[in-house]
Amino acid sequence: MTIEVDGKNIEVPGDTNLLEALKAVGIETPHICYHPYLPVSGNCRQCLVELEGPRGKSLVISCYTPVTPGMKVSTPKSSARVKNARAAVSEFMLLNHPLDCPICDKAGECSLQENYVEAGRSESRLFPEVGKQYHGNPDNQFVDTKGQIRGGKRVDIGPRVVLDEERCVQCDRCVRFMRHVAGDEQLQLASRGDRTYITTFPGKKLDHEYDLCVTDLCPTGALTGKFFRFQQRVWMLSRTPSISMDDSLGANIWIEHNNGFIWRLMPRCNPEVNRSWLSNTSRLAFENFSKNRLPAGNLPELKKAVMGEGEIAFVLGGASTNEDAAALKTLTSKLGDRAQVFVGSFAKMETADGIAKSGDPVANRAGFALFGFTASVEDLVKKASEFTTLVVLHADLWGEDASKANALEVIKNRISISAFNDATAEKSAVVFGVNHWSEVSGSMVNSNSMLQKLSAAPTAPDAELSPLFKVLFALAGEDVKCAACAFKKAHEMVPILSKFSFDSIHSTGEKLDGVAV
Amino acid sequence: MQDSMKVCTGNFGKNAQSMEAYKKLGGYSTISSKLFEMSQFEVIDYVQRSGLRGRGGAGFPTGLKWSFVPRNSGKPVYIVVNADEGEAGTYKDHFLILEDPHRLIEGLIIAAWALGARTAYIYARGEFLPCIEALNKALNEAYAAHLLGENIGGTKFSFDIFVHRGAGAYICGEETALINSLEGQKGQPRLKPPFPAVAGAWACPTCVNNVETIMSLPWIFSHPVSEYTKMGTPKARGTKVFCVSGDVVRPGLYEAPLGTPLMEMLTSEEYAQGVVGNLKGVIPGGSSCPPLTSCESETATLDYECMAALKTMFGSGAIIVFNDSHNAVDILSVLGHFYSHESCGQCTPCREGTGFAKRVLDEIMRGEGHDGDIELLQGISAGFAGTTICPLSLSLGMPINSYTAKYRGDFEAYIAKNPDHAEPRLRSTVRPGAFW
Repeated sequence: MTIEVDGKNIEVPGDTNLLEALKAVGIETPHICYHPYLPVSGNCRQCLVELEGPRGKSLVISCYTPVTPGMKVSTPKSSARVKNARAAVSEFMLLNHPLDCPICDKAGECSLQENYVEAGRSESRLFPEVGKQYHGNPDNQFVDTKGQIRGGKRVDIGPRVVLDEERCVQCDRCVRFMRHVAGDEQLQLASRGDRTYITTFPGKKLDHEYDLCVTDLCPTGALTGKFFRFQQRVWMLSRTPSISMDDSLGANIWIEHNNGFIWRLMPRCNPEVNRSWLSNTSRLAFENFSKNRLPAGNLPELKKAVMGEGEIAFVLGGASTNEDAAALKTLTSKLGDRAQVFVGSFAKMETADGIAKSGDPVANRAGFALFGFTASVEDLVKKASEFTTLVVLHADLWGEDASKANALEVIKNRISISAFNDATAEKSAVVFGVNHWSEVSGSMVNSNSMLQKLSAAPTAPDAELSPLFKVLFALAGEDVKCAACAFKKAHEMVPILSKFSFDSIHSTGEKLDGVAV
Repeated sequence: MQDSMKVCTGNFGKNAQSMEAYKKLGGYSTISSKLFEMSQFEVIDYVQRSGLRGRGGAGFPTGLKWSFVPRNSGKPVYIVVNADEGEAGTYKDHFLILEDPHRLIEGLIIAAWALGARTAYIYARGEFLPCIEALNKALNEAYAAHLLGENIGGTKFSFDIFVHRGAGAYICGEETALINSLEGQKGQPRLKPPFPAVAGAWACPTCVNNVETIMSLPWIFSHPVSEYTKMGTPKARGTKVFCVSGDVVRPGLYEAPLGTPLMEMLTSEEYAQGVVGNLKGVIPGGSSCPPLTSCESETATLDYECMAALKTMFGSGAIIVFNDSHNAVDILSVLGHFYSHESCGQCTPCREGTGFAKRVLDEIMRGEGHDGDIELLQGISAGFAGTTICPLSLSLGMPINSYTAKYRGDFEAYIAKNPDHAEPRLRSTVRPGAFW
């Protein structure tokens, strides 16, 4: 629909709020408390615009104003009133906010810093006598070396999150997240006026599977995750877009790395998949990505072990990509009737939480189905005695459930091709190390039949390691160099994929029509 | 003043707290078949014709407000009486309930009939314990007399009233904050729209009225409408209860027709009987209103339009008089403390700005003010204009602007007490020795 912005008619998307509509046409409105996936609270007052109404022009918050055809909006570009109002709000916002950016973990990705550049005033009007006054929870206050009363700087509000009461700007994003998204109200704003502070309920801690999301939501450094505190400056981090391969929803993530190490995984916004959320399990999984890794093995030795006599059972683990599946398909067709493929893990299937997890630990189950790999490891247990060789790919069957996996010990020749030196590797005669999913490019299909792309972060502990698909293709006698080439190979096996080239897969995924999951 | 002119305070001093006494004085005469024969629209039309305007402060026409309440939403309609009287200087609702609780009940029955409401809540300020006791006693009597409860007066009309005690927050006088508090949530104003008339308490249509508004109804309905419109000004009919306090001979609660000259209220024998000392200023409608100087007070009349023309507000009718023994800085500093303490903490400008202004005022009060502090205060106040959900920030912003403009000399005199007032303040970031 058409609206008038600063005297010019502009076509904006309808059915949304003014803030989003302006954003869609490239007009950024500074905001603190507004978040697209949380109910509007309208308390920061930073996103003010001027709107012409029946009683003249008035200031309104753009996050709570629906777009209506023909509405007349003024931004700071044409209205000094809006500019001054935003500058005033910006000043008020920083009034009781400490200027400890040099030691603040949020510096570099802080809404206050970003907004102040655009909407703030350049000159400070704060003086030591009348300026900052820190309040927060009276129980956490202390007197610093200069004799000033300070708010709690490291309040332990839960097992994973730390609160800095001075830095809080009372936007109540975290409160709304816990109430409306997590569905478990654990945070609350207590007291009133400038004494307002965030707190948990008496005697309770912030403890929820999604509690680290509040550290992403927090526009300031008030809520920080213990795992990331003081680890890295955010501007030193490079980010690689990828998919979390521990759950079949395939939450979109940024892999943030520096110097060859992953420092954190952050949710990557995808409205169709995980929105802006990421579970703690997925987020904290990176801590083990570089630990206990297998070295690259000897390929001729591996080939000898895999291609030996008798029937071969391949177990394809959930973190394998479509490219890995295509390589396996190539290999098994070479082996003919001797080879059978079983999919999955012994990990417990859980129910979807409706936020960012489907509960299925086999991330690429839908992708495997496209290649015709549907038999499960449970089926393998039933007929384990038929096989002489077991090749486990990217799965830790013994680590997940040893009581079930022990039934597979009847297969004498056991091989593990995996990233980790895990319980399964211990049970295997031949082990071969490959790249972890965070270090490979590839694609996967999630539980909602979205084709999603993983990109390789440069964090492999050993340059000798190669992706699983390369190893499998090599076993089949083919030399496939890149994920895009492997994806091309998959075109012939799965016609629906031939609509896409690897590079054309959108960063937020492609819906595969007509695929039943 | 004649007795008939007392719309709300007619029973004051007559021990009308009991039902028996109230009825003897003509109470509950409107709760008759005559009322129940009127349709809802006729009742609302009657109120509209009377010209009654909301007595809480904003002065919105009551009949018009009632007409906004949707009839066929399929949800119950709630009436909420705002008895959370917190504005400094206002004490009318306290005495109105204490002296004449049955009149409030009678008015509520009329309002409930007009709105088709089944339930009303009286949100009383927590500190009003004697009022709440009087009210509960009156409610028990009314239930016993079948004026409340199921099938009132043998009709199909049923109506209940509950008294809810607030927990002590000025902001709960704002209607949406009041509704939040009534629902058991934190008393913070809601974003509008939806307005309470459409989605208020428990997301149902809700009409929030002041105590005095509701208490005007029995008199209006027991007299011809022309009797009421005879009083007041063309745009503001009827009478208003004024709470006069400060430097006057006889402070107190006085009911007078709208449009009464301010000086008559302050000096007349029936009312405040004169100003003590030399009049310096008058706050016409409660602490949040800009004051009138003695000069402006001479010509002011007590109605909404005149006060708006004088760039102040009629408000709740709380007239606070101060003479020249008082300093504008002291008064504004008290307001700074009050409003920064009572800010709910939701919107940034109010949460942080009221405290900022308070600290600047404290500096000036301590004799440590600097040149430019007046401009700093005005700058803070400029940041309040139109930037918040509710007008609480403006309740401090408007006085800041008006006191510093009208009594600038007081501020300058206070700042001059600081021997270094002409020196610029030292910025915290360049304070020598702070970091190195």
